[in-house]
Amino acid sequence: MGIFNALDISASALSVERERSEVAVSNLANVDTTRTAAGSGPYRRREVVIQNGGNSPFQSVLNGVSDLRAGATPAGGVKLTRVVEDNAEPIRRYDPGHPDADKDGYVSYPAINPAEEMVDLMGSVRAYQLNASAIAASKQMIQQSIDVLKS
Amino acid sequence: MPDFSVLSQLENYLAVTNQRETVIASNMANVDTPGYRTKDIDFQHELARAMAAPEGSSPGVAVRDVKGLLERPDGNNVDIDKESLELSEAQLQYQMGTQLMKDRFHQILTAINGDQ
Repeated sequence: MGIFNALDISASALSVERERSEVAVSNLANVDTTRTAAGSGPYRRREVVIQNGGNSPFQSVLNGVSDLRAGATPAGGVKLTRVVEDNAEPIRRYDPGHPDADKDGYVSYPAINPAEEMVDLMGSVRAYQLNASAIAASKQMIQQSIDVLKS
Repeated sequence: MPDFSVLSQLENYLAVTNQRETVIASNMANVDTPGYRTKDIDFQHELARAMAAPEGSSPGVAVRDVKGLLERPDGNNVDIDKESLELSEAQLQYQMGTQLMKDRFHQILTAINGDQ
């Protein structure tokens, strides 16, 4: 338990929220993508999976003793475990002139609802702000501790 | 011989406040984690325990789940407003502790310097 623990925890949340907004923005950018580099078919909407990083008492003691690896999630922090693809069926629109149209003349577009993505983006921005202000508070507390030294 | 026990009590007070701040920061970090339950420490109880512990040892604090909060559909029950409030509270408590500590050092320094 060090004085900088709270900073590590808030920083882990900052990176998770940043990644979450990147995924939402990428969904918005690809709202009309009918072709992907990975193979056939339109872009698929992506979603993040957020997990609580090691919070059991044993885990936190273990982290305190031995876990100084770079990039390790601090006890009580968060981590982004993976980015998953939404399995929703693509939206089919009739457009026979389109190069990606199938034999019936339908083009598959990603099933992305821009309003949903915007709400997700706003949520992650707000959570980012919340954790940024938590960092400011931690910094102020550390500064006060340092100020004890100079009287 | 000046009385240094006030300083060690203040040290305990700062340690408990700092740990509470860590718990609150952790709640804020997990504001979007599905299934996460809000955690907190019983400040008065932990402070009393830290004061009673022998000098130099730092007992860990017991973190408990907070009951009676509104739960969202994903099983998370972090209330941002409550956590923000508690963070400012912990911040002010910490400031009080550091100020008292500074004052105490100042007193000792005055005693050393005499009336110069």
